[in-house]
Amino acid sequence: MAQASPSIPIGTGMEEVKKKTKAGTSTLARVGKYTGMRVLTLGITVVIGLYLTIVIANMGGYVDEIRRAQIREDVGARIVNNPTMRSLSAEEKKQMIAEMVAIEEKRYGMDQPFVVRSATYLSNAIQLNLGYALKMNSNSGSKQVRNILLERLPPTLLLFATADIVLFFIALFFALALSRQYGSIFDKILITLTPLSSAPGWFYGIFLILIFASVLKLLPFGGMVDAPPPKTPFLYFLSLLKHMALPVLALTLSQIFIQVFSWRTFFLIYSSEDYVDMAKAKGLTSRDIERRYILRPTLPTIITSFALLIIGVWTGAPILETIFSWPGLGRTFYQSIGQFDTPVIIGEAVIFSYLLAVTVFLLDIIYAIVDPRVKIGGESSSV
Amino acid sequence: MKTRKVLAVISILMILSFVLSACAPTATEAPQATEEVVATEAPVETEAPVATEEVVATEAPTEEPTVAPTTRKGGWLDEIVFTAIADQEPAVSQIQAGAIDIYPVTVDDAQLFETVKNDPNLKYVNSYGSFNQLMFNTVACKDTSILNPFTNQKIREAMNWAIDREYISQEIMGGLSNPRYTLLTTTNPDYARYAPIVGQMISKYKYNFDKAKEVVDAEMVAMGAEMGADGKWQYKGKPVTIIGFIRTEDKRKQQGDYFANQLEQLGFTVDRQFKVRSEAAPIWQGDPYECKFTYYTAGWISTAIDRDEGDMFAQYNTGRIQDIPLFLEYKPSPEYDEVLTKLQNNVFTTLEERDELFAKAIPMSMEESWHGLMINDTASYSPMKKDLMVASDLAAAVAGTPLWPLTMRWADQEGGTVKIAQSGILVQPWNPIAGSNWTDDAMIQRATADSGAITDPYTGLSIPQRIEKAEVVAKEGLPIVKTLDWVDLKFEPEIKVPEDAWVDWDAANQKFITAKEKFPDGVTALTKSVVYYPSSLWETKWHDGNNISMGDFILHMILSFDTGKPESKIYDENAVPQVETFLQHFKGVKITSTDPLIIETYDDLWAIDAENIAGASTATWYPSDLGYVAAYGYGTAPWQGLVGAILAEENGELAFSEAKSIAEEVEYTSMIAGPSLEIQKKYIDQAAAESYIPYAPTMSEYVTKEEADTRYASLLDWYASKGHLWIGTGAYYVDQVFPVEGTVTLKHFADFPDMADRWSGFGEPKLVSASLDGPAIVKAGDEAVFDVAITFGEEPYPIEDLSSVTYWVTDATGALVTQGTAEAVEDGAYTVTLPADVTSKLASGANMLSVAVSSKVVSIPAFATFEFVSQ
Repeated sequence: MAQASPSIPIGTGMEEVKKKTKAGTSTLARVGKYTGMRVLTLGITVVIGLYLTIVIANMGGYVDEIRRAQIREDVGARIVNNPTMRSLSAEEKKQMIAEMVAIEEKRYGMDQPFVVRSATYLSNAIQLNLGYALKMNSNSGSKQVRNILLERLPPTLLLFATADIVLFFIALFFALALSRQYGSIFDKILITLTPLSSAPGWFYGIFLILIFASVLKLLPFGGMVDAPPPKTPFLYFLSLLKHMALPVLALTLSQIFIQVFSWRTFFLIYSSEDYVDMAKAKGLTSRDIERRYILRPTLPTIITSFALLIIGVWTGAPILETIFSWPGLGRTFYQSIGQFDTPVIIGEAVIFSYLLAVTVFLLDIIYAIVDPRVKIGGESSSV
Repeated sequence: MKTRKVLAVISILMILSFVLSACAPTATEAPQATEEVVATEAPVETEAPVATEEVVATEAPTEEPTVAPTTRKGGWLDEIVFTAIADQEPAVSQIQAGAIDIYPVTVDDAQLFETVKNDPNLKYVNSYGSFNQLMFNTVACKDTSILNPFTNQKIREAMNWAIDREYISQEIMGGLSNPRYTLLTTTNPDYARYAPIVGQMISKYKYNFDKAKEVVDAEMVAMGAEMGADGKWQYKGKPVTIIGFIRTEDKRKQQGDYFANQLEQLGFTVDRQFKVRSEAAPIWQGDPYECKFTYYTAGWISTAIDRDEGDMFAQYNTGRIQDIPLFLEYKPSPEYDEVLTKLQNNVFTTLEERDELFAKAIPMSMEESWHGLMINDTASYSPMKKDLMVASDLAAAVAGTPLWPLTMRWADQEGGTVKIAQSGILVQPWNPIAGSNWTDDAMIQRATADSGAITDPYTGLSIPQRIEKAEVVAKEGLPIVKTLDWVDLKFEPEIKVPEDAWVDWDAANQKFITAKEKFPDGVTALTKSVVYYPSSLWETKWHDGNNISMGDFILHMILSFDTGKPESKIYDENAVPQVETFLQHFKGVKITSTDPLIIETYDDLWAIDAENIAGASTATWYPSDLGYVAAYGYGTAPWQGLVGAILAEENGELAFSEAKSIAEEVEYTSMIAGPSLEIQKKYIDQAAAESYIPYAPTMSEYVTKEEADTRYASLLDWYASKGHLWIGTGAYYVDQVFPVEGTVTLKHFADFPDMADRWSGFGEPKLVSASLDGPAIVKAGDEAVFDVAITFGEEPYPIEDLSSVTYWVTDATGALVTQGTAEAVEDGAYTVTLPADVTSKLASGANMLSVAVSSKVVSIPAFATFEFVSQ
């Protein structure tokens, strides 16, 4: 017996299509409007952030005074220490110092007011025209800020991304495991060890170097590879692994306890939700409950944390890199601040700003994908 | 519950242990930037006769190799690997663990020094390249309600008695220091020359807090201040506050703190402001009348032994050299001003006249104390493995002497590898014209370079390296002396520059300007140096296999002028001041023979030592002389090695100087690594294709097309095999460069002309030790004889190696009773005889006999004192 197909009122289908079209149009408009506003606000935030960086990095122009004094001190010393200047009269020496000071000041752009320079810096930064460093150079000798940063990027990515990925997966695994064993001895041990995460990575680094390099002599003190570096790629890779072991361990140790603790707490909170109880009552397997009812709602938090961790790689870790003699971006940042090398500071800041802005923007979209409760541009997003 | 408590206790204990560990001094601090070679001012001093025995000896010096003559040429090692370790403590740990062999950075951490001293597998060499000072603001404040006590000369002078320099050296500096009273540097020859005067200053200004207080009390009242009920000085109803700018980067923090304590005990209120350099510099170099600081803990660095410190008085007591507002306010008395001006401008015709000027200037500088107080000289150390040997400069340490690559070796072994860690590596791009002059880079460059003459690391005198001999002709009346045999010294009433000598450079036509063209009426110079090279010079090899040639010398001469000439295609305004200065004293150069090469150089620049006149790179013109004149002050290069960079700069793609590279927004030329190499390669290819000879109107007289072709071919081969363009004639060549990994490897250069043991005698500085013995009681009117024992280690010091043994006697008040020269008895033994007419002048009481011993082979003098009672 053929089952009659349910009759659909003629008009209804058209209305549905219209409704859907209308809904589609309104969704597009909503998403478009949201995207535009988001890009605009993020753009304004980046500009404000960058200008503040420029002003702060130059102490509102006071760096000119510092630099002027340093130039005068250095040039004076150069003249005084130069035996070939001995024959000059006092006036000639003074004249020479004045000329050299003027040249140096011009080199730093100090012949222009700071306000003018700050506008130029901002304009170049927004256009990603990173320009040339004032004092620093890349290890290979390039003065281009782009090269200075790019040269240090691979070692930084290698070290910190490795550490972050290791940390992410280990933390996720243990957090899930411990959330299932709430109150167990392992859970208690974790709670006990959590304060250890108050110590930074470089702190663990010192101990690790002491134990594994100084006493046991199993691993190197620091550096990226052996000196001189091995000639074959395979041996180079092995050498790299050997040199990465301690800094990765230090970074992981400094974060692992707090990360596991916070995620485990998240999982615990979500596992006590009504819908989890409902799922349990329905007889779903614990694996399904974990994946669909606990992990998924926590994903926005985890993804945010991971994304920020990854872009945080850009800033490196100056002290840890110094301890392990790792040629990373953190040391570059530190040096650029110490030397008031504004173009490099701005270069670092502008890339970080753009990375952060793009990440924040993408996260909005990712939230909507991974969490059905979130609606882009909606009135009430729950995250 | 129990478990929870146990776990809580464990966690607290762990946190506490971490906190305690973090507070311990072993924690590694944030990174420090490498310091630049040019750093700051004058040199170090190791002060004086306070101790009964010798002043500062380099402890555990490198030992002289004892091996039989070698057949090896060049350096002793097969390979040298450079890496970087930013901090001192991990560097020492890595030497202990065997990861590196030497850390040639000058370390000044006293705690770490104990670690090094106590480790039987380590040793160290000392250097004396820095000193500390308390600098005073000497002007009256704009705000008249504020009293600045340091405007008062007597209070400034009294501060000498208020600080215990012995305490600072021993307790604050942990023994890695010597007290310093005067402007003279104890590692420099003038200190030894004027030791008796310095000795009197030490007697006069030794720590005497009561005396300081007495002067301060009297002078403060005279200035209108009054002592408050709280024991603090008041002026116009407010406490007299001294603002101390205390630098925090090193031991100056404790020194500044100590001085503040002493000032508080004198009744001053002290505002201690702890600052780093960048915070302090704009203020102390700003308007002193604002009175934003009253004293500042200054520190100075020197990178070489200075054999003439005549200008120290003008440098520190006037604003004539450094145009800093505070210095401009120094107003030395007319008498002192006259003396220091004469010393600054060398207005004397004999050394005796100079001696008289010093005898006046030293006490005057102490009395007027415009510079504030000198406190101490820091004795830094460079740690290394025990069986490693290397020469070290007394001022510039291991890294600063060109002899380090020629003397570094493993004990009783030829070959092998040494791993050297520096505080940084490849700090800036390398190029010989205006490249990196950072200590870390220069150390590596020194291994790749050779020189006409090099500086004796223990005396500061030039000694011949590639040259054979020299003659110096000086204008009559100049107080120039010679010490070593390789130089002949003559005086003439007038030194005329030959008409055909080159005196300047026509950058537009690329030709030298002769004396006749520039000075049609003739020109004279104060000195003439005639430098003779041996015939074998032309067999000297560059690392790429070519023999050195006239073209290499001529390009050096051209580039000494060209970059500072506006008509030049590679004009750089940053080079102008240096070239202009050079032209002010340089009077001409003439190549009188090309085989053997003989170069005459005419100059108004002169030094007290004829060796240093002949050894200056303008006199030798050798195409690599780190740190002397306009060209090639930053490395070494054959003429063809610079062609790519010159053409690239002409075409606006590269710049030799950092300042020009920033201004033009082009890459800074590096011949060792980076993107500029490929740009140079492009132009080298072009030059090779055209057999290009740079500055052809002049260079083509010395370089043939065939030579150009050969040189470009080998240069391109070199670049293809090594990946860089850094080529020298030194004992090692750069084999591999890893900029990001921070490693540079050098390899032994087998074609280096000298035998490896040529400079083995520089394994150890022959530092003098002196001691005194004699009668404890001297009867007035009787002759008294005292014995002076002078040794090097356990051995008697040879008489021929000593330049002077002087003595002086001071009475209980520190007043000078007599002085003279001790008599030689035999090697290691001198006597001081106080004749009857001298002892008869001695008042009853304690007296002090002091001797100063100066060596010809090492610049640090030794002192000894002996107390006796006269009746």
